[in-house]
Amino acid sequence: MLQNQIKEEKSLLQRGWWLILLIVLSLIVPFIITEFYLTILCEALVMSLLALSFNLLFGYMGQLSFGQAAFYGLGGYTVAMLMTKAQFNFWLSLIAGPVLAAIIGLIVGFFCVRLRGIYFAILTLAFGELIFFIVFKWHNFTGGDDGIQGVFPPEFLKSLISYYYFILIVFLLSAFILWKIIHSPFGQTIISMRENSERTEFLGINIARYQLIAFVIAAAFAGLAGAIWVPFYRSVAPSYLTWIKSGEPVMAAILGGPSLFFGPILGMFIMTFFHAWVLGFTVYWPVVMGALILVVIFFLPGGILGFIHEKVNQRRERLNQLMEK
Amino acid sequence: MSFDILFNQFMSGIARAALLFLVASGLSLTFGVLRVLNFAHGSLYMLGAFISYSIWKFLLMPVLGFYIAAIVAALVMAALGLLIEFVLLRRLYSRGWPEQLLATYAIVLMITDLVKWAWGGKFLSIQRPKPFTGAVFLFDFPFPSYNFFVIGLGLILVVFLWWLVYRTRLGDIIRAAASDREMVAALGIPIPWLFTLIFVLGSMIAGLSGAVTAPFGSVALGMDIEIIVECFAVVVIGGMGSLPGTLLGSFIVGQVYSFGIMFKPELALAFIFMVMAVVLIIRPWGIFGRPER
Repeated sequence: MLQNQIKEEKSLLQRGWWLILLIVLSLIVPFIITEFYLTILCEALVMSLLALSFNLLFGYMGQLSFGQAAFYGLGGYTVAMLMTKAQFNFWLSLIAGPVLAAIIGLIVGFFCVRLRGIYFAILTLAFGELIFFIVFKWHNFTGGDDGIQGVFPPEFLKSLISYYYFILIVFLLSAFILWKIIHSPFGQTIISMRENSERTEFLGINIARYQLIAFVIAAAFAGLAGAIWVPFYRSVAPSYLTWIKSGEPVMAAILGGPSLFFGPILGMFIMTFFHAWVLGFTVYWPVVMGALILVVIFFLPGGILGFIHEKVNQRRERLNQLMEK
Repeated sequence: MSFDILFNQFMSGIARAALLFLVASGLSLTFGVLRVLNFAHGSLYMLGAFISYSIWKFLLMPVLGFYIAAIVAALVMAALGLLIEFVLLRRLYSRGWPEQLLATYAIVLMITDLVKWAWGGKFLSIQRPKPFTGAVFLFDFPFPSYNFFVIGLGLILVVFLWWLVYRTRLGDIIRAAASDREMVAALGIPIPWLFTLIFVLGSMIAGLSGAVTAPFGSVALGMDIEIIVECFAVVVIGGMGSLPGTLLGSFIVGQVYSFGIMFKPELALAFIFMVMAVVLIIRPWGIFGRPER
């Protein structure tokens, strides 16, 4: 069943005229929509990268991380501090962001991968809050609750449209790499851990080591998302590391469908644009997000893409039955 | 380091531990029986603190005001717990734990906004109630007598929960349900009602502990996540769903916090996490916990 799922997803991509259409659309979209919506689109792409990194752990490995925003924030803070305090080059800072996130991910992951299920979720949440707490309290190093302002990208990336293309390229490349990782032997191994970790262990696979590698990869991509977002927004704040932020990729994956590669992206796009729309008339976004979570859990188990996928499969089966008759 | 400073930190660590036990015991009890980790437990605690503040302010009674406010806050949280269990959680027991976790997370978001809307982002506090306004002398050192009220309440709760879980018929059912839910149901015990009862009890304890924390002068937004992270440390160290584990975990976290703050306030939480990391390496399921099945 699992193999089928992957094959279907693959064939979906190979028949991927719609994917090419989407990419072409994303290339011409800056000339169609207003600046406001282009800004939201940039945010949606960056947050989608965070959601993809989260879903490598959740959808494929079967471990729910409630502290992914900590790595996102670390990536962002690394870029902001290197560029404003150490006058580092933009590109070097951009690389340092995911590298530092991966190193911290290695330390945090070392403890977290010893646990499964709900305990893993608790521990990632707790470590995420610890990192937030340190950034928040260490005022003379990180700026505390003031955050860091004045992080500017190089001249040729200063306009909204050019930075949009930059984000788009980083996003597409990262998504492609993550796709390749999931469909590599390594990816198959972590999927088998989700399905049955005991059997995987009996095959002689060191579960903790594989999970740690996946955890570090996820931390690095979350760090990259933070690293490219901060120069766009020109500033960074401790709120980037909170558990409210960590809840967003969880929510996006559940909304779009965690069992499909594109699920979290769809979920994050819906959430980001919905957020922008809701902020137009109320500041009480969390209560709306809470209600949205409950609606999805109760009425759309499996997420939107999961729901569509199921309906398509049902129709195909019915067709097959008719053919047999 | 002189004896009086160490003794002072130790005693404030005990008071901290008592408060942590008040909150973490409800969280641990709910998890032990329902196997649902209630993210919203900290939010019920926060809401309990805010409600008790408002009632206390409305009553304006110097002696009884605080006690009435605390009891009402606990009852209101019990009612809210009943609503949450009945409307939301009950429909999710057959589903995976990620959905249950997310549902309680959704409640966290809603309660946060409710508090923001109703009370705003101010820091509020309640005056210490009589007769716990003064100081108590222990070995000639003064300690706030309210600390002893909190410690006493913690001890009462320890005894009450111990009696409930190990000395009553309901306790037998609770322990049986924690280890084999299906078997208990097969014996004709209405599991859904047991779950409702336990969740309501947990919510009530959360509300009460929120009210009790108010005279420490820290009723504000964000107190929910602050306490829940420390409670997670308590239950991870002591073992999820274990009463003695929660007690020991509270003691350790309270002491580490109290002495940590003396050395470097910014790193108090980091010290707690170091202890947690050591426990996790030696016993991933906690000191009194059972290995996961």
